[in-house]
Amino acid sequence: MKRLARFRRIRRGWWAFLGLTSLFVLSLFLELLVNRRPLFISYDGRWACPAAADWVNGLPLLGGVPDFQKRSDFGQAGGSEVDYRRFARTAADPGLLGAEIAAKEGELAELSRGLAAAPPPGQSADRIELQDYADLRGSLDEVRTELKELRLSRTAFQDGRARILLPLYPYSPDEHLLSLPGRPPHPPSREHPLGTDDAGKDVLAQLVYGFRVAMAFGLTVVAFSFLLGILAGAVMGYFGGWTDILLQRVVEIGASVPFLFTIMVIASVAQPGFFQLCLLLIVLHGWLGITHYVRGEFYREKAKDYVQAAVAIGASDLSIMLRHILPNALVPVVTLAPFAVGGTIGLLVSLDYLGLGLPVGTPSWGALLDQGVRHVRSHPRLILIPSAALALTLLAVALIGEAVREAFDPKPFSRLR
Amino acid sequence: MHGMTRYFLRRLLLIPPTFLCITFLVYAALRLVPGGPIEQAEFQIRLAMMEEGGGGGLMDRSGELQIPESAMRELQRYYRLDRSIPVGYLHWLGGILRLDFGRSYVHGEPVLGVLAARLPVSLYFGLIGYLAAWVLCIPLGVLKAVRHRSAFDTWTSVLVFLGHAVPGFVACLLLLVLFGGGSWWDLVPLGGFRSEGWEQLGPAARALDQLRHTWVPVAGYLVGGFAAMTMLQKNSLLENLGADYVRTAFAKGLSEGRVIFVHALRNSLIPVFANIGNALGLLFAGSFLIEKTCNIPGMGLLGYEAVIQRDYPVILGTLVFLVLIRLAGNILSDAAWALLDPRVRFEG
Repeated sequence: MKRLARFRRIRRGWWAFLGLTSLFVLSLFLELLVNRRPLFISYDGRWACPAAADWVNGLPLLGGVPDFQKRSDFGQAGGSEVDYRRFARTAADPGLLGAEIAAKEGELAELSRGLAAAPPPGQSADRIELQDYADLRGSLDEVRTELKELRLSRTAFQDGRARILLPLYPYSPDEHLLSLPGRPPHPPSREHPLGTDDAGKDVLAQLVYGFRVAMAFGLTVVAFSFLLGILAGAVMGYFGGWTDILLQRVVEIGASVPFLFTIMVIASVAQPGFFQLCLLLIVLHGWLGITHYVRGEFYREKAKDYVQAAVAIGASDLSIMLRHILPNALVPVVTLAPFAVGGTIGLLVSLDYLGLGLPVGTPSWGALLDQGVRHVRSHPRLILIPSAALALTLLAVALIGEAVREAFDPKPFSRLR
Repeated sequence: MHGMTRYFLRRLLLIPPTFLCITFLVYAALRLVPGGPIEQAEFQIRLAMMEEGGGGGLMDRSGELQIPESAMRELQRYYRLDRSIPVGYLHWLGGILRLDFGRSYVHGEPVLGVLAARLPVSLYFGLIGYLAAWVLCIPLGVLKAVRHRSAFDTWTSVLVFLGHAVPGFVACLLLLVLFGGGSWWDLVPLGGFRSEGWEQLGPAARALDQLRHTWVPVAGYLVGGFAAMTMLQKNSLLENLGADYVRTAFAKGLSEGRVIFVHALRNSLIPVFANIGNALGLLFAGSFLIEKTCNIPGMGLLGYEAVIQRDYPVILGTLVFLVLIRLAGNILSDAAWALLDPRVRFEG
């Protein structure tokens, strides 16, 4: 507790910790904040919560939130996904449908004029000409149905039977915004404060989802690496002897692996997903660094009286290791963790930048940087934005790390002068 | 010295198992997964046939590609993939011992030659980067230690943190954005080792062109190693300043400058010197990220391209090179420690 108080007193570290933690917690709800799919949509008695479905149905053991239904169910033509932003615009101003209806009416009038020239039925005519008129009649019917639907939906919108609630920022990171004027990458605009990348995907949406991916990746890898490393270090330090020698050789071999290249090779052939890549980093590299420290701590603590006492009262090896020694050996673990998280995030960005990280399509800062390279001269923001995000995040992590180190392991440098 | 000899002997003895473990792991990974050169050759044949339209008699009735058995065997032999994984690995290992790394699938030349051609480029940037780090980091570290907890120390610490946090290649990218002739200044080319037609330039123009291509990657290396080295120097000097012999020196009435720069600095340099083993990899093999970013045709870019193009012999050759450098670096670091600091004893 004294350490926690000391940590809180180091202001820049404490604020960095608060800021980063709250941002990460916020980012866990990103589907509800940054999403092209609405929080709530209803039309003529039918309703769904697609954004909540994105969020909940992706979690294990949960699900059952009403999700996407066909476009035709929501007063729009076709069976594909509803254009939610257009839906929202129409709901706000049903008059928008007026122009569309007028266009359809014009089309209908033209078709009818074309048919008026048709010879009355029964009169013999060219077969090809007859076929043409049949086609015309077909399209006439089609346009009529569409017109009827449009008018129906206009009344639905006007009567307030259509409601929609879009998230705060109604764009998804994987959405290609090709309807914007000009060719991607689009410059920043009011709707897209950071513009789009060269595939027409919104940069801001990618940036925030990329933050979540990077943080989640860093935390997962470090948590499990440390778990494994503590286990190995504890076994080495506690049992000593041959176990120690053998495991130490394994660690030494592991530390000599040129691991970035090895990961590149394996990632290029195996194309791992999120958890596979985590696993790869943990097993190949992550757990090695911490073993030295934990082993040393266990060696030291083992010789102390309280351990002797625990042995004397007949505590088992496992209980001595976990309940007696481990709490005393955690200092290096805690002080190293923030730096390890920062390093892992940097590594992920590097791998993604090389195209050898997470699967293509995962929102990531590395991938953003990679496509930014192709536009160094014309669109510098495509590099500046993800770089700034990365630098700020890693700086916050480093500040936290420095504060934690000072709080847990103060090294007063005394000097004479 | 007995314990020391044993220690280094053990380090040397550990080289073969380490080497075998890593190379076998990667060899097996490469062989186990589809997408290798044979599949690529197959794909290329299929593509060529689609363009021809006919199929040249290699198609069976269902339109599937049928490469004749003999041709398949020929392909496998050509790519040295006709043996099972353990046997193939042993053959590859035998080749390595005879310095035969095979031929690159992409370049068509012996791997050793391809590697040797790229080495000087990486070495050039690595060496300059390393020297620059020395020139910059040691004075900065000393200054930070002497003015520990001053405003100067705090602000340079923020800078050092940033440098440590941001990968070197991102720094290169930022420099290219700033100075690469986009929206701001047009001072440096967008990468490469030298400009085209470098050979035809006069000596002064050659040097200038080389310099223009040099400083962005070097800055990248610097950012990568700069922070760690500065902090190492600072902490090492601080530790020495708290030591008893410094107290004694002050007690004798020596001036502060003399105590710091003559007594303490010398001892504080030991860990920084010993760090050379860790820098060895960067020195010789360059960095994948920086060489890719700046388009420098060194070892790093070669390794990266080999990975992307599935050029197995080059991948394995690069791997061997990297492992050996790493092992040598570890031993070199220990040896430097032992040489510079007579108190250091490694137990067997």
